[in-house]
Amino acid sequence: MTEEETLRPAWSQHFTPDAIQELLAHGPFAKITPDWAWGGSTGKGIRVAVVDSGVEYDHPALEGCVQGGVVVEYDAKAKDNYRIKADEKPLDVSGHGTACAGIIHSIAPEAEIYSVRVLGRNMGGRAIQFAAGLDWTIENDMQVVNLSLSTSLEEFFGLFHDLTDQAYFKNMNLISAVNNIPEPSYPSLYSSVISVAAHDGHDPFTYYYNPNPPVEFGAPGIDVEVAWNKGQYLVCTGNSFAAPHITGITALIRAKHPELTPFQIKTVLLACAANTKRQSK
Amino acid sequence: MNPDKNINEEKLSEQLQRLLTSIEASGRAVLPKSNDVLLKSIVDAAARIFGAAAASILLVNEEEEVLEFKVSTGEADHDLVGTKFPYDRGIAGYVFMTGQPIATSNVREDKRFNQDFAKSTGYVPDSILATPLILTDDRIIGVMEVLDKIDATSFNMHDMELMGMFAQQAAMAIDMSQQIDSIEQALIRGLKRLAKEDKTQDSSDLKSALDHALTGENRTTDLLELADLFNDISGLGEAERKACIQVLTTFAEYRKSTSAPRRFSK
Repeated sequence: MTEEETLRPAWSQHFTPDAIQELLAHGPFAKITPDWAWGGSTGKGIRVAVVDSGVEYDHPALEGCVQGGVVVEYDAKAKDNYRIKADEKPLDVSGHGTACAGIIHSIAPEAEIYSVRVLGRNMGGRAIQFAAGLDWTIENDMQVVNLSLSTSLEEFFGLFHDLTDQAYFKNMNLISAVNNIPEPSYPSLYSSVISVAAHDGHDPFTYYYNPNPPVEFGAPGIDVEVAWNKGQYLVCTGNSFAAPHITGITALIRAKHPELTPFQIKTVLLACAANTKRQSK
Repeated sequence: MNPDKNINEEKLSEQLQRLLTSIEASGRAVLPKSNDVLLKSIVDAAARIFGAAAASILLVNEEEEVLEFKVSTGEADHDLVGTKFPYDRGIAGYVFMTGQPIATSNVREDKRFNQDFAKSTGYVPDSILATPLILTDDRIIGVMEVLDKIDATSFNMHDMELMGMFAQQAAMAIDMSQQIDSIEQALIRGLKRLAKEDKTQDSSDLKSALDHALTGENRTTDLLELADLFNDISGLGEAERKACIQVLTTFAEYRKSTSAPRRFSK
């Protein structure tokens, strides 16, 4: 092993140009093309939740696609240590959620976006707020959920596993950014979610499948121009910005093919990955 | 009266006396606190490894709910040190709230970066890579930043992931160093109580040495000075270190041998 290989970071290594493996789609899978999967779709009517720092509802890049949302607050005295408040005109306390929503909207312009704000100043409550936000999306019939957040707390492994299974059995697609720090984090490592890391391309529809999971997909996430709170735009890098690309594409597929289940959608995503070659036999 | 306790006390007194004498003999070099040295070495290494013009570390001050610049190197330099700002301001605040690193270029257009503040220091970077200092229990103790990639316009994914690993090591080292400081302070407080409670024993250089160290105008400063002494011990010879270990062991044994409420028996 060379020194360069030894030092190569853990999550994005599968999506560097020389590491991307060419895959073959056979038989009926070879007939699944991007045009079939999402051609002509705008994501119309698909409910997409962004579990994050909030989404700035009136950011010009979002063109009014934000339909409302909730704020999840940590409250040591409340049942299960959290409280949920309606948030009809959501704000974004950092800009990160607006960045994710902006990417989703640019791909699926007619998807309905819901802001689930789970970040706050109480650091001890982070994982609980996050879990409660995810639970809200399950209880409130969201169809696609962008999770550009994760926790590495082992004690939350079970809770998040349970929530992601519940979501899966409710026909939801959870798209989870893998941690930017190469260590296990939840829920990105579960098979019931679609996990995403960054590659350095810029075409929003060019993504890759990694045949050596847990990280499954690589989408643009390096030097991406994104919307930010207070009407701003920034150039940012992180797996956080890769996940919303797959979220947007998933919303397109679901709008065009409402009959598909979460595992079928993952199959469609694999079939349409840029490193999948179609071969009819 | 328990004869064993007396023996223990005498042993403790003797050993402390010897220790303090040897420390006094070696002179109290004014060394920086171990934690500061550690932080400086971390930012120096980070700037070097990631090809950055500058680097800094901010640590959480939970009481005030602020992040505080503890050390910086390079162009930003020392003026920053001691500056505080709320959790939800600036790039560091964002990283602290989310626990996720972020790399951003064209920082001059980035409002998360506290513009007024940066201007006041006269240094506005073009690119930033900011990474949380996270412990294994997911607790974030601060944020490490490297500023201005020297040979590129921005920090890349590779930098981000490597810095994540580097920051984990750094966080553990910083946490350990802070814990050692706390243990030192706790030990000093214990010694102080011990000295005060020892009313009858005719005393000894132990008491006077401790009194001398503890009767300054500012109690906290004195405690920290005494903590310095303990830091110094690590730089002394093997014999001194062994003596120190013996003293600590004796102290621990003494604690175990006494039942609450803890008093010197007469």
